Amino acid sequence: MSLFLASFGFGLVTAAVLAIAAVGFTMQFAVTDVLNLAYGAVMIAGAYVAYEVNQAGASVWLGLLAAAAAGAVASVALNQGIYTPFRRRGSAPITLVIVSLGMTLIIEFGLQAIVGGTNVSYTMSQGPTVKADGLELTAVQFVIIGLSVVLCAAVHVLLRYTKLGKAMRATAANRNLARNCGIRTDRVVTATWALSGALCGIAGTVFAINDGSFGATSADLFLVVILAAVFLGGPGQAYGAMAGAVIIGLATEISAAYITPSYKDVVAFVVLLAMLAVRPAGLLGARA
Amino acid sequence: MRARPGEVASIVGPNGSGKSTLLKALTGLIQMSSGKVRLGERDITGLPSEEVARAGIGYVPQVDDVFVPLTVRENLEMGGYLLPGRQVGDRVDRVLTVFPRLRQMLTRRAGRLSGGERKMLAMGRVLMLGPAVFMLDEPTANLAPRIASELLTEHVRALAADGAAVLIVEQRTRAVLAISDHTYVLGGGQVLMQGTPAELAADPAFTESFLGGRSVAG
Amino acid sequence: MSSAQVFYIINLLIYAGVDIIACLGLSQQFGVAGVTNFGFIIFQAAGAYTAAILSLPRQSANGGFQSYIGGWNLPFPVPWIGAAIAGGLVALPFTFLVGRRLRGDFAAVGLLITAVMANLLVTNYRPFLNGAAGLSLVPAPLQGEYNPQSQGYQWDYTVVTLVLAAAAFLLVRRVTESPYGRSLRAMRDNDLVADSLGKNLLSMRAAVLVLGGALAGLSGAILVGFINLWAPSAWGYAETIVLFAAVIIGGAGNHRGAVLGAILVPVGFEEATRYIHGPPGLVDDLQWVAIGLLIVVFLWLRPQGVLPERRRLAAPRIDITERSVVAPLVPTAQAEVVLRAAGVSRDFGSVRAVEDVSIEVRRGTLTGLIGPNGAGKSTLLAMLAGTLPVTSGQIGYLGGDVTGLPAFRRARLGLVRTFQLASEFKRLTVMENLLSAVPRNRGDSLRGALLGRRYWRGDETAAAERAWKLLEQFGLAAYADTYAGDLSGGQRRLVEIMRALMAEPRVLLLDEPLAGVHPHLAHQIGERLLGLCAEGMTILMVEHELAIMDEFCDPVIVMAEGRVLAEGTMAELRARAEVVEAYLVG
Repeated sequence: MSLFLASFGFGLVTAAVLAIAAVGFTMQFAVTDVLNLAYGAVMIAGAYVAYEVNQAGASVWLGLLAAAAAGAVASVALNQGIYTPFRRRGSAPITLVIVSLGMTLIIEFGLQAIVGGTNVSYTMSQGPTVKADGLELTAVQFVIIGLSVVLCAAVHVLLRYTKLGKAMRATAANRNLARNCGIRTDRVVTATWALSGALCGIAGTVFAINDGSFGATSADLFLVVILAAVFLGGPGQAYGAMAGAVIIGLATEISAAYITPSYKDVVAFVVLLAMLAVRPAGLLGARA
Repeated sequence: MRARPGEVASIVGPNGSGKSTLLKALTGLIQMSSGKVRLGERDITGLPSEEVARAGIGYVPQVDDVFVPLTVRENLEMGGYLLPGRQVGDRVDRVLTVFPRLRQMLTRRAGRLSGGERKMLAMGRVLMLGPAVFMLDEPTANLAPRIASELLTEHVRALAADGAAVLIVEQRTRAVLAISDHTYVLGGGQVLMQGTPAELAADPAFTESFLGGRSVAG
Repeated sequence: MSSAQVFYIINLLIYAGVDIIACLGLSQQFGVAGVTNFGFIIFQAAGAYTAAILSLPRQSANGGFQSYIGGWNLPFPVPWIGAAIAGGLVALPFTFLVGRRLRGDFAAVGLLITAVMANLLVTNYRPFLNGAAGLSLVPAPLQGEYNPQSQGYQWDYTVVTLVLAAAAFLLVRRVTESPYGRSLRAMRDNDLVADSLGKNLLSMRAAVLVLGGALAGLSGAILVGFINLWAPSAWGYAETIVLFAAVIIGGAGNHRGAVLGAILVPVGFEEATRYIHGPPGLVDDLQWVAIGLLIVVFLWLRPQGVLPERRRLAAPRIDITERSVVAPLVPTAQAEVVLRAAGVSRDFGSVRAVEDVSIEVRRGTLTGLIGPNGAGKSTLLAMLAGTLPVTSGQIGYLGGDVTGLPAFRRARLGLVRTFQLASEFKRLTVMENLLSAVPRNRGDSLRGALLGRRYWRGDETAAAERAWKLLEQFGLAAYADTYAGDLSGGQRRLVEIMRALMAEPRVLLLDEPLAGVHPHLAHQIGERLLGLCAEGMTILMVEHELAIMDEFCDPVIVMAEGRVLAEGTMAELRARAEVVEAYLVG
């Protein structure tokens, strides 16, 4: 039982990191119909920004804010500078995927050229460990879970109650009709990429915090897990991404407790392939 | 072509005559090759569709006319996007008095509505802003005759009665003539003839242009 | 030349050969057939591992420090053949991802993920293929008889590699420059239309996956025989991206482009970095940045690559007497019913687009189908053709029930349709568009393609002759070598009609074929269609151009609001009040 609880705890942390990442990814897909595979690269770039701030003497949580800002700027630049020109030209979705892979190489290896190939980690204390009947998490891990809950709630408030959020949902549902309502969809798209980019930067930082040490290519495997959560919930569905993150996060960690830990990401992979084969619209998406 | 406040101007014609294309060009969805569009004194030629909407033109497209994953209430609220927040609730109530059937399905997703209900929602969305001009692209397409007739005689006519200018493209020629103040007949991308419904009904060339007459080829 | 320089050149040539073979396989999948296989590297890895475990002795023989399955110490060339077979077999499970109607980018991502995961699994499960350490001490081919370190052996290895590369080139060229290759390219350009013309998409995609997989497997075997080790680090998904970059830059869809790309990117990059001095990690990183940059820049500026796909020019005409394709009509008072719909309905959600429609189409007639917008005409046509399933009711063709039959099978039985919107194969010439529709061409299968030009030349020439005749009748003979995507709207409509005629239909379903066509030409087409009916073909035509209906169609069926309203000649229909009402009222 305590093994289960311990892995449940880890599952919550993974789910927390995954939720922040998956929601950002899916929002980008929702408004622009692009599978931005460079998302992982931007995540790690954010983690490095936080690292630099941290190295300069500030707390890593301040670095988190810097990472959010960096992620927002980088994502908007990526969409405006790269994806939008290709889309305006009528490029096929597969071309955009290949372009995003190219951007991944540029960002990740450009980063590695600057920071070098050795892994780094943040200078921070993990805080006291809280134990409860087998469940064992550090204070930092609690903070991560809390941060994820707050961010998901914020996204919920944004989408449900704010004008921008409603405009985002309208733009994602039917861009032309949104324009007919007077919504300046170009600005909405930019705002969406900025917000999701901030989430991306934050996700990269908490990912790096949780993992301990990281390098420029550390997010490559994690992107698979993000995709699994996104497709489980349905590409473009923010609440689906949250639900998918919880399910995948718990499933991978709990299964890791009972089978070899090195295979835990395989669970994510199997889920992803199954969703693509059976129900590409995801659990919350509309039936085809 | 002109649409006057308080009047219904209809555009009819055989298929392929360019009716939908005309509306799409007027509302900024596609680009015009030449010509001008004026709203009152203001030249709105070539403006993107969100600016056309902001200028005060409400457009109901033929397809993709609602936000499918959003609820009925959210669809209406989206129509009121440009309104200050406090006014939205009142406007929604006002639209619901015009389309009382929608009141029972406020929390239903728009994708689950029947054809007639969906069209009412589409029109309700545009009604939220109370624009000066309504442009309707074949609003009765795919509707049962009784609902189509109700839509035209009650709702479309009411828009003009409230003072707006209504420009409506329709396939149901007889039905739309019954509610129109002025009608344009399009063929091969040009205006073939125009006039009041009474004038056109009396013109034998009118029926010709629909059934077998050679339309003016481009 | 020093021996170091000699070994350097040998090294270069062998890597070039390996990359050429791999890129040719990828070019066949991606460039020709439009299958974006991001999991490609798995096939090379499967081949390398297979060659290794077939040629390695039992685990104990080498001190037992690595664990793996197999170990049968088989002699050359068995491991290489096994590798090619393994590469092909591994490809089969992937067809489930590319066969169904999954969005291209989703399927590609699925394949990418599979490559990542396969690497992870092999790395972590040590007993299978020795995990992260991989397999080493892999015997070089014939190392019992010869000294693999000698220059003579290495030159021989190089020659064998290059010969195999040349053979691979000839193989993929043979497949691509055949009617089958043309069908692959048609599938790439517009898979929905290719399906409606009778092409089996699933089997074509499976075939290119297996063929490309076999080539990839062979390339893996050659590589592992040379470097004598193989580990997961050699086949991450980054390696797939390099191969994609090679194919894109060299020129997708052009096999010479694939060769060029293989030389420029994997090989060229390695060599270029040799001469750039700097901290080794930095040079590697910049290499990857450069590859990413090249991918984006090329896709933006020159997506067709350095060597773009060549235009296939039509062979010059030879005169052959035209064989009559369809049996001429025996004049009887009432010809038999060849196509019928019985109580057919179709719902889209809560909207009933077609309601309880029953029609009969008789042989040799040019039947018109008219009605106002939203009447359900195109929906009915789609159900007759099989591109849309019925909600209820039956479709009968030539006396048999075809309700459950998919579109491509109906097309093969002679029930062919055209589409309303643009559906020509843009990157095929007009002549190729026409030829792609021919139903019985011996070269239109993988087997036929592999048997070579002599096998299918007869069918191809006969088909080309029919195509030339049609081109002349429709006035487009001068455009035979123009890419269909470059034609005007009206011309593309004509290509669509001609292509449907090339499919040797018994019953032809035309969806607004005359939209945007000049009235004079529309008249000529009407005459031609009538002529075909006199020869025994049956045509059902949805149209709005009522003058054409007047002149050529008998009977004409009127639909309104999803139901059949009336049937008769146009003169009869005009006299009926309810028809006039339907058009004016809707």
